[in-house]
Amino acid sequence: MPAGKIANRHKALFIATGAVVLVVIGATAGVVLLLSGAFSTAATKQHFRITYRILEQGLKYSVASNADDIVVPDLDRVADIDVGHACYREHCLQCHGAPGVAREPLGRGQLPSPSSLAESARDWPAAHLFYVTQQGVRMSGMPAWEYRISEQGLWATVAFLKAMPRMTADEYKRFASSNTHAQCPRPTTAGEYSTERAQIMLRQYACDNCHIIAGMVGPITHIGPSLVDWRERKYIAGVLPNTRENLVRWIVDPQGVSPHTLMPDLEVIEPHAEQMARYLMAAGE
Amino acid sequence: MVMLAGCAGDGESLPRVSGGDAERGRVVLDRYQCGVCHVIPGVPSAFGKVGPALDQYAQRPYLAGKFPNEPETLVRWILDAPSMAPQTAMPAIAMSHQDARDAAAYLYTSD
Repeated sequence: MPAGKIANRHKALFIATGAVVLVVIGATAGVVLLLSGAFSTAATKQHFRITYRILEQGLKYSVASNADDIVVPDLDRVADIDVGHACYREHCLQCHGAPGVAREPLGRGQLPSPSSLAESARDWPAAHLFYVTQQGVRMSGMPAWEYRISEQGLWATVAFLKAMPRMTADEYKRFASSNTHAQCPRPTTAGEYSTERAQIMLRQYACDNCHIIAGMVGPITHIGPSLVDWRERKYIAGVLPNTRENLVRWIVDPQGVSPHTLMPDLEVIEPHAEQMARYLMAAGE
Repeated sequence: MVMLAGCAGDGESLPRVSGGDAERGRVVLDRYQCGVCHVIPGVPSAFGKVGPALDQYAQRPYLAGKFPNEPETLVRWILDAPSMAPQTAMPAIAMSHQDARDAAAYLYTSD
């Protein structure tokens, strides 16, 4: 029936046009909202309920799909819970608290608020806890710890996270006060070089907060010199001839090279500095 | 003498040199061949890569990686960098105070 076909075609055209119009209206409204300043970026301004649910569910699905391939070692056998607690005390406690121990002010004023781990640490699979701790959570206050804690230290942390929800306030207090010698181990190796991994390192040591870096997206900053076309520069910080070896030396210990420099010591381990230097010297080639 | 005059642009207050003539400064930067070591927008043949590029200089919080970027500090640095940072590769420049003021004025106004 031609009349019916034409009606169907009209209907499809009408729906398509409607969809395009809605997308254009939505995008325009979004731009107007941002430019007018009406969208609040204050941490005191609560998210909508739907935003919360989307963030929570999105996190779960994302972690599950990325963490399922992680092979979990036998934590009871290889993970040292004292070491895990040392990492937790040094890096996690201030935002997440512990049984009977409040989080510090840093962990109270954020939005989204860092989770209390009594529930998630008990319920989440070890691989998921490992993944979130190692990789962090984008657009939340949760940092990635891969460049601060060794893999063994991360598994020890996971083992401690699994044990912590089963402690009473008194048990935690006893455990914490008896465990004062263990240290949280830092990474000692960098793995195989790739430009992508070098870029992650440059971000993870916050280099891009002060430097524009070739090939990377980041804040527009004028604090330190631009590192685009770095290999063409003759001097590092105006004092060292620009070679890869000197660049590694500079990244690892800037104030040792130039005592009054404003570039801080970011505790970069040498294997990481070597990969950063390799990237910077090659960038733009 | 008030040396620092604030300039409100897009909510920022960028450094300016009082008593410095930016247009003269461009000529000074050219005459003293600063471009052998630095890229300086608007200065002919200033393509050097020995020192850092000097574009968008007013927006930079720091000078030579060691000092807050303030007009009087920049003038001193141009005249005698080694007195402020003995290890630096930047040499002292035998130019008049007025030349240094003008050069600094140009750096703060160029893009």
